[in-house]
Amino acid sequence: MSEAAMEYPSRARTKKYFTGAVLLFVFQLILGILMGIEFVSRDVSLLPFTFDIYKSLHLNVMILWLLLGFVGGVYYLLPAEVGRDIRYPKLIDVQFWFMLLAGIGIIVSELFFTGRNWWLVEGREYVEAGRFWDILLTLGLLTVVLNIVATVLGGKRKMSAPMLVLCWGAVGSVLMYVPGEIWFNSLVAAEYFRWWVVHYWVEATFELIAAGVMALVLLSMTDVRRKMIEKYLAIEVALILLTGIIGQGHHYYWIGTPGFWLFLGGLFSALEPVPLFLMVWSAYKDLKENKKPVANSVALYMIIGASLGNLLGAGVWGFIHTLPQVNFFTHGTQVTASHAHFATPGTYLFLVLGMAYIAVPAPSGRTTFPQSRGKLGFWLLVLGFLNMIIALLAAGIVQVYLQRIQGVSFMDVQNMLLPFYGWRMIGGAIVLAGGLVIAFDMLMLGRNKGQDID
Amino acid sequence: MNRYRLMLIGLLIPTLLMIPYSVISFYTDFANKNPDPLSVTVEFRGKSYDAVEGKKAFEQYQCMGCHTIVGNGAYFAPDLTRAYKRFGENDAALAGFMLSGTPAKGMPPMSGRGMGDEDAYRVVAFLKYTDRLDTNGWPGEGSWDRDGSPDSAGAKKLIGADIWQIILGILLFNLMVFAVILNYERGKEDAGRRKHE
Ligand code: HEC
Ligand SMILES: [Fe+2]
Repeated sequence: MSEAAMEYPSRARTKKYFTGAVLLFVFQLILGILMGIEFVSRDVSLLPFTFDIYKSLHLNVMILWLLLGFVGGVYYLLPAEVGRDIRYPKLIDVQFWFMLLAGIGIIVSELFFTGRNWWLVEGREYVEAGRFWDILLTLGLLTVVLNIVATVLGGKRKMSAPMLVLCWGAVGSVLMYVPGEIWFNSLVAAEYFRWWVVHYWVEATFELIAAGVMALVLLSMTDVRRKMIEKYLAIEVALILLTGIIGQGHHYYWIGTPGFWLFLGGLFSALEPVPLFLMVWSAYKDLKENKKPVANSVALYMIIGASLGNLLGAGVWGFIHTLPQVNFFTHGTQVTASHAHFATPGTYLFLVLGMAYIAVPAPSGRTTFPQSRGKLGFWLLVLGFLNMIIALLAAGIVQVYLQRIQGVSFMDVQNMLLPFYGWRMIGGAIVLAGGLVIAFDMLMLGRNKGQDID
Repeated sequence: MNRYRLMLIGLLIPTLLMIPYSVISFYTDFANKNPDPLSVTVEFRGKSYDAVEGKKAFEQYQCMGCHTIVGNGAYFAPDLTRAYKRFGENDAALAGFMLSGTPAKGMPPMSGRGMGDEDAYRVVAFLKYTDRLDTNGWPGEGSWDRDGSPDSAGAKKLIGADIWQIILGILLFNLMVFAVILNYERGKEDAGRRKHE
């Protein structure tokens, strides 16, 4: 690893992407806790800001650290794959600070300009950041694409299949930010294309990134043959795209679009778990064949956690409410919240953390490092999220029955859900503990070796 | 089959299908079931406000950060798709509710965010428009059919008594998960030791 770090000096520049991502993740957790407090109190004067502000930041901060993690991941993995260093290494630093500044801009706008200016805060779920920030971020991310393309074109080697998938995922993610920025008079059209951002991210381009990263990490950590690992990759990718692109229809049941989407969305999104199952299955087979002891077992924990979280959270939890007959009742209830808190951290959090545990210690000169702190953090995250997922699912089922089937009023039902919201908060506190452990570990691992006290 | 060709087919077939589906969704008789947002207006003090201005205001004041609209958004507050009907199609009542909010129940007064009468009526026009969307029957019948009045239930708070009712359950759940984790890590340690011997 350290030889590679010498060979590709730009690798050391990616470290801050991951520490930045992990610190923003902790910030996201704190925002989540504040939202939890709003749910059990509801008094608007209790906290300095109202629920919607915490919620928007909770999502936007997540998008920011996901992008940081993915961009950092591509920059870290690409050089060894194409046999040359990143074309414009200085851009790596510039882009990091650019994204961070845009992030601060988004946060300040959200806190102090909500309702004041549409260009600064646009208030649509996931793309709350105002149009100004959207455009700025897209332009910044396009320079990342430029850097990737320039590096690939000047490469000595042809890219391997997993790297190609990873690059397409990254480029696609940037492109898919654009449909959400087009203005439509009609709410139906606006929602239609807003889901192009959200769904095509989490169920297509980010999935490609996940598939590519998982394959590359397994390649670098095990002695499983490349052919074996790549065997399933093409089928996985083809199936992800085949089910995910039209599976978009599961967001078009009730937003004012024609009824044929009920059929298309139901059919294709019901198949979405298949590639996710394949991903777990192939990882399992690879690891069984592996004879090489894995030194960096925390990273492996995270990557396996990501593939299982993907199958259970995105696949199973998604499947239970994706059919229109079910979704009619669960749409807009806590069932969706349970699904989101399983699928997103289950897949993408662990993916980014897995990459972080590979990309942060090595450039700091650590080939081996104590694993116990990372494992503790991992298990705390798992335990906390499981609490949250189960509490929200139970809340969702009660809510569906009372509010959507019996027709009890919204606020009456919310009152009855309070114990579940209390439980969710306990889960959140455990997750925060896990996040803090990981962040601390990351900061310690990120110090240069010479600075070590121990 | 060549693996790159397989991936390309996986990308191209559904992408090409998305084009006709999207066209059918917006430019055919299928799509004409929804009103034109420019033509849905409300009057206030002799001026007319349409649902397009309303949509922009709805976004700007971030209603979707607490509420859902057509079921999308946040689950902190009731769905607004049929709010216009719920308020008995009473423009003034709906605008007044937004401006003053219900602070004890989590709805902040929008006047505190700089919303004036004009923007309030713009949002009313938008909600009038969403009420007329054909959402394939969603959300069905229920309390949202309440006529002319906001939700009469007050907001309770989570108190100690609630917590104790379920805390044992939570504890049990966590002990279970914890036992599984511990068992897994122990098993791995044992396996590692056996390998050494
Ligand atoms: C900070 C969170 C928050 C924001 C932002 C918010 N609301 Fe609310 N709203 C609530 C809550 C909570 C309720 C339920 C309280 C009640 O029933 O009195 C509510 C209730 C309502 C109701 C009554 C619904 C019913 O069925 O009784 C309407 C209408 C409404 N809000 C409209 C809006 C509009 C329009 C906006 C944006 C301009 C908005 N709200 C922004 C939290 C919010
Ligand atoms: Fe989706």
